[in-house]
Amino acid sequence: MTKIILNGREVEADPKQPLIAACHEHASAVPMYCYHPGLSPVGSCRICQVEVKQGETPARVVVACRTPVVEGMVVNTEAPKAHEARRQCLEFLLKNHPLDCPICDKAGECDLQDYSFAEGQGEGRSVEPRRKLEKRKSLGDVIVLDQERCILCSRCVRFFEEVTKKPQLTVAGLGSRSVISTFADRPLEGNYQGNVADICPVGALTLQSFRFQARVWNLTKAPSTCGECSRGCSITVEVLRRQEVKRLRPRPNPAVNQFWMCDHGRFSFERFNAPGRLAGALLRGRTGLEAIDPADALDEIADLVRMHGAPLVVASPWLTQEEGERLRVLGGANHFLSPAPNTLKDDLLHTGDPCPNRRGLGALGFAPLAPAEALERLRAAPLALLVGERAVELLGAAALATLPSTLRLVVLDTHPLDAPAACIEIGVPDASERTGTWLNLDGHAGTLGIARSAPAGVAPLTRTLDELVRRTRGALAR
Amino acid sequence: MSPLLVTILKVLLIYGGVITLAAGMTLAERKVSAWIQWRIGPNRVGPFGTLQPLADGIKFIFKEELIPDGANKFLFRLAPVLAAAPAMMAIAVIPFAGEITLFGVHTTLSIADIPISALYVVAVSGLGVYGVILGGWSSNSKYSLLGGLRASAQMVSYELSLILAILSIVVLSGSLDLRAIVAAQAGGIQDWNLWRQPLAFGLFVIATFAETNRHPFDFAECEPELVGGFHTEYSSMKFALFFLGEYVAMIVMASMTATLFLGGPEVPFWHGAPWFVQLFAFLAKTSVFLFLFLWVRWTLPRFRFDQLMRLGWKVMLPLSLANVFLTGLVVSFF
Amino acid sequence: MVIVKRKELSLAERLYLPEVFRALSITFRAIFKKKVTRQYPEERLVTTAVTRGQPRLVLLDDNQHLACVSCGLCEIACPAYAITIDGAETERCIEREPKRFEIDMLRCILCGFCEEACPKDAIFMSDELELADFSRAALIYDIEKLKRPRAALQPRIDYFYGANDRWRKRSSTS
Repeated sequence: MTKIILNGREVEADPKQPLIAACHEHASAVPMYCYHPGLSPVGSCRICQVEVKQGETPARVVVACRTPVVEGMVVNTEAPKAHEARRQCLEFLLKNHPLDCPICDKAGECDLQDYSFAEGQGEGRSVEPRRKLEKRKSLGDVIVLDQERCILCSRCVRFFEEVTKKPQLTVAGLGSRSVISTFADRPLEGNYQGNVADICPVGALTLQSFRFQARVWNLTKAPSTCGECSRGCSITVEVLRRQEVKRLRPRPNPAVNQFWMCDHGRFSFERFNAPGRLAGALLRGRTGLEAIDPADALDEIADLVRMHGAPLVVASPWLTQEEGERLRVLGGANHFLSPAPNTLKDDLLHTGDPCPNRRGLGALGFAPLAPAEALERLRAAPLALLVGERAVELLGAAALATLPSTLRLVVLDTHPLDAPAACIEIGVPDASERTGTWLNLDGHAGTLGIARSAPAGVAPLTRTLDELVRRTRGALAR
Repeated sequence: MSPLLVTILKVLLIYGGVITLAAGMTLAERKVSAWIQWRIGPNRVGPFGTLQPLADGIKFIFKEELIPDGANKFLFRLAPVLAAAPAMMAIAVIPFAGEITLFGVHTTLSIADIPISALYVVAVSGLGVYGVILGGWSSNSKYSLLGGLRASAQMVSYELSLILAILSIVVLSGSLDLRAIVAAQAGGIQDWNLWRQPLAFGLFVIATFAETNRHPFDFAECEPELVGGFHTEYSSMKFALFFLGEYVAMIVMASMTATLFLGGPEVPFWHGAPWFVQLFAFLAKTSVFLFLFLWVRWTLPRFRFDQLMRLGWKVMLPLSLANVFLTGLVVSFF
Repeated sequence: MVIVKRKELSLAERLYLPEVFRALSITFRAIFKKKVTRQYPEERLVTTAVTRGQPRLVLLDDNQHLACVSCGLCEIACPAYAITIDGAETERCIEREPKRFEIDMLRCILCGFCEEACPKDAIFMSDELELADFSRAALIYDIEKLKRPRAALQPRIDYFYGANDRWRKRSSTS
């Protein structure tokens, strides 16, 4: 560690990191547009200028992102000269930036907007007209480019060069005619395009699917974990008006996903918004499935357990450790569904394994079971428990409908299942509505966060299972 | 025509008249309050709003009847009747006018002439508080209960002064019969008890305000503190009955004031006037006090409860006792 | 700490009755005062440009599209949470327009913050004050009920520019 003097305080800085990292670490808000902690610094935007004095030479203004940390350097981020340099830099950046904030999706989380507001420069002095460029340029299915808003920080260019190692974007043209462009106007491809919309410091690169969908200050955000593969990337779930999941974004986590996530996980939020949730409980009566009180449904399940003995338990791979802990007490044989690996595996984040808690459920004694095999076991069992979100989806509702009605199938899923074998169904919360822990393939614990409340009448699965365990305690005494 | 039929006719006429007057009072209350507050008051139903009481009545009938879950159902239903009935009963002995010949039967214009009518009025109107207390208790609501409790404490405190004020008149006239009291004032304006017993007059008027739960003594209702007091939980016609009782009680007390202190149906400077002139004079005197009820209500703020009790026990009771004592002395020795 | 001295009462005031008579004389004289009641359905309130009635959305000069770009600033400025906006993309040169713009008139407190927050001069307080219906749902106004041609709101728009001219100039120079 190297000692430097930052704003009159002696602090320790990592010599392998640029000066700006030390400033941020010690709560000095140096603005940045082109610098990103996950990318190499280039110093193209010049907004991070600070005053540095080294040895006997007079103090000079330098860009903090391209200055290495040296023992004994004296840094002043709030020096008048540094301030003035930053102000002038900002004025040039805003020279051609359109006044789009009311329309722009970035408004509210835009670095340029935040710093302009802090600096308080409400009006430009330029009398020249602003550049007119293409405002709605589609870069493939995921990203839309607004060339007018772009400040040419080149973060997106470096992302494809350094992170995915497949360069797809470049700065084309010279001087004031410079724009971001793909090679030969080909659309962007790959599973990591969405990240450039996150790292863009202005609203130049936006997600096609999030365009004009919501104002960011109306989104309630909750830290959570992505469940689309066994990597378990740390994410933020963003919910509009406490109802609709609008966006998933990566959350920096050096142990798992650094700053990124794949598009497959990013756009998986659609499934949270599927209509027709099962709220409360259903019981097969004379006319089909009828709504009953969940507590009565639990009594019915306990009766079935008393009659048939310990059930065959088939759990969803999205079951958390806490839920698995309670569920394993119930079953005679515990399994979790393990579909075949998909083709999305790459060497960056995606593992190709769709079970986010494979390691954790394995440690709890659940055996992996392929869906086809699971259907065979169910066909033979007298009583089975199908537990957890998307369990029905993995087995296929059509396949479950072919099961004989001699099987007493108890379903604990987010959506109702209409199958003759299904006799009791209880609604459970999905991954955006409950808390819990998944262990990813390296054994790292990812925590689920509650981003919105479950539909009325849906209790947390842990509580439902607790109640069930309490009711069947006598029947299962071994 | 038999005397019985004539009595029934008198009952119908007098009660019809009194209830109409009570309905008119509800309109008068709203009109007077509006005028005092620089407003116009009800003016949409009928000419100058004169049919407003009718509209109110229809509205009350169509309101939903609510009985609280925890209420004592029997007493809850009984309370409005107990509040309205005693006031109506007290009307029976008020001498509205002197002698009258109806269908050949010579009689007087009051339902019943009983020799202890002053005592009867006091006895019967004192029962009115049971309706308020029972209504407050049976509602099973803390506000109602507090309203009922306050009403009972207040009634006990002020009924003493009221009775002692009447007593001094009775001592002066030597009779408990209201007709005899009226007859004693028959000489003209100078013979009115108002001049002979000014202190008793003042105490009586103040006590009637307390007795009828009117401002500034309306502690049983007391909207800002007790929501609606004893009638918080009441609705529809039960609520209307409480109000009918209150307005009839006001009429009783106003006519009692006119009878005891202003010579009742006696017309000034015209002894032995025809019955309709006497009735008009009586109504005119009563109206003055009815207006006073309204006027005071929209002028004075409500007392604090301790102030009410202090006024009742430390001011009014000693004064009225002294007054009776002095009256007794004067009557005995002069 | 402030110690408030109660006024010393004179004997007449302590006796209470003289004061009662004084109060009665005041209220009696009030009976003959000129009445201030406004007979509402016949006598309407006179509105001026200063009147803050219910908010309304301004139509562009083509009388077809709203000036609103659904930026959501009125939604977030609204202290009563009366406004709900969902945006959508449009082919017009302004890229965004409201797909849903609802003001819950039962919540609206006519404060005018939406008017002040609007960067596009798309929402103004009209002179419309009357609000009555038979259901709550009918009082959640949508775009069809809110839109008004610019001419209908012109007095308020002129007043608003005049009243805010001073601070607009000052803020732009700081």
